[in-house]
Amino acid sequence: MANKGNITSLFGKSPISPLQQHMKKVHSCIKEFGVFAKAANAEDWEKAQVAQISIAQKEHKADKLKKKLRMNLPSTFMMPFSRRDLLDVLLIQDSIANITKDLAGLMMTRHMVFPKEFAEDFINLTGLCIKTSAAALVAINELDELLETAFSSRERKIVDQMIKKINELEHDTDIAQSKIREKLFALESNLAPVDVMFYYRAIEWLGETADAAQKVGSRFEVMLTK
Amino acid sequence: MEIIANYGNVLIILAIIFGTFMAWGIGANDVANAMGTSVGSGAVTIKQAIIIAVIFEFAGAILAGGEVTATIRKGILDAALFTNEPHLLVYGMLASLLAAGMWLLIASSFGWPVSTTHSIVGAIVGFGAVGVGVDAVAWSKVFKIVISWVASPILAGVISFILFRSLQNLIIDTKHPFDNAKKYVPYYMFLVGFIVSLVTIFKGLKHVGVSFDTFTSYSLSIGVGLLVAIIGTFLIRNIHLDPDENKDFYYASMERVFGVLMIITAAAMAFAHGSNDVANAIGPLAAIYSVVESGGLIGAKSTLPIWILLVGGAGIVIGLITYGHKVIATIGTGITQLTPSRGFAATLAAAATVVIASGTGIPVSTTQVLVGAVLGVGIARGMAALDTRVINKIFLSWIVTLPAGAFMSILFFFALKGVFGA
Repeated sequence: MANKGNITSLFGKSPISPLQQHMKKVHSCIKEFGVFAKAANAEDWEKAQVAQISIAQKEHKADKLKKKLRMNLPSTFMMPFSRRDLLDVLLIQDSIANITKDLAGLMMTRHMVFPKEFAEDFINLTGLCIKTSAAALVAINELDELLETAFSSRERKIVDQMIKKINELEHDTDIAQSKIREKLFALESNLAPVDVMFYYRAIEWLGETADAAQKVGSRFEVMLTK
Repeated sequence: MEIIANYGNVLIILAIIFGTFMAWGIGANDVANAMGTSVGSGAVTIKQAIIIAVIFEFAGAILAGGEVTATIRKGILDAALFTNEPHLLVYGMLASLLAAGMWLLIASSFGWPVSTTHSIVGAIVGFGAVGVGVDAVAWSKVFKIVISWVASPILAGVISFILFRSLQNLIIDTKHPFDNAKKYVPYYMFLVGFIVSLVTIFKGLKHVGVSFDTFTSYSLSIGVGLLVAIIGTFLIRNIHLDPDENKDFYYASMERVFGVLMIITAAAMAFAHGSNDVANAIGPLAAIYSVVESGGLIGAKSTLPIWILLVGGAGIVIGLITYGHKVIATIGTGITQLTPSRGFAATLAAAATVVIASGTGIPVSTTQVLVGAVLGVGIARGMAALDTRVINKIFLSWIVTLPAGAFMSILFFFALKGVFGA
């Protein structure tokens, strides 16, 4: 008489913790890029290689988490937020890991070393991007509390502050990025054109991780308003 | 008349066996659903749940089970039509017990959603309409019952929505949720005790031969409510704010206060379930007993003997002890996303709805009422993910279980007629 009963089948698997785990994995990916960037800057390619492989593995794990969450989210689920918004947040989170992996791959294959005029700025920008992603992770981690209060205004205000913080950090990365571009522009004529092209691309991609983190925040906000 | 005189004892013994079997099935299976939200919220351990269930299912069955038993026993069929052939009523009720029991076994083994209430009502209507005649069924009463199957989960959902919103405004969404929980939870405890005892005193106790006037009833209910609140206050007195546990999750301490409330609510739920579902097993038994005991007189003014309620209560408890504890464990561990605050809102709403139904004499499906109550919390944005496929399953169980119960009881009815003679 093993009756599963209606009651158990009513409860679906909560997507909240999987979404948080995914963001955590994504963040560990970009954090590892900090290690990679420093090693590359020091031209320690062995260490860089280890970090790059680790980034790729982490991105792969994040991808798996993403797929798993998607598979466990039938359209019949009644959730306190729209399924569409949740999937959007997930996709944007995932893009941070994707961009990071591509960037590390690009720098590794080209053994990219930035001219010393702005090498330090690039490391700083990396740090800022990691911070932006960390801020997004903090916001996503607030989802348990949001659910507990049934998305009440008090808790939403706390999250609004967190999202504001992400936006500020992203703005900082924009400023840092344009500074590097200015320096690169001044050096352009003395550098190999192909290198210059890829320097611009690396800076752009790194900046995109912060953009994505910001988008995580704004999508998350939409998700909460339902 | 002859048949009853000759086979009376055999028929009663058969009825007791089948009735006990049904009650056993309810204890083994249904109780787990009733206790599921309490165990799943983590506030009540499996052991506690079983102890609570044993005591309060039994109490609910004895103290408040009379009204629904009366409906199953003589409300669904027009007893007057059996005056000349009382043995047909006996066959039919036996057949219904057998059919509902068999159907529960078959459906459970396939993992189909099934409701004891629906199978027994389907079975009684089935043998009445086909075995005796369409006029034998009190269709207006049946219609009322069917409407209540749709209405009861909705009512539970509305109540749980309101309850949860009140928790949100008074306790959860405040600056000091823990302090407010300690402040307001006793009032909710009062509410639990008051509602359950009011319905029981007004509607249930008269079947045990006790009755009070309105004023005494209200006073007693308020007294019980206060008593529950005092016991509860005493229990939550020792819960202290633990900043450590709130680091990861700000509401951890508050939820522990709700945990105590949940234990009381689980008791109310077990009581409500006992009061409503025991009738499915013993209603037919009571009908058979009254016919045989009066020597074939239909509608004899016999009251419900307490021993029949005892048989039902005992059957449920045996079911719980022999098998139900396993199902409670399975269901309890299967539900992970309920926190005590949610568990409380949903379970109290369901218990109140079921107890009110019991008082009105309407057999409802406790599981479906609980589903409605949990969905109510979900609509208030209090649940992470509820699978609405369950609603389809409920519709399916209405559509499948009624005819299945009816079909089998018709079969058994004619078989019994063949064995004992028309």
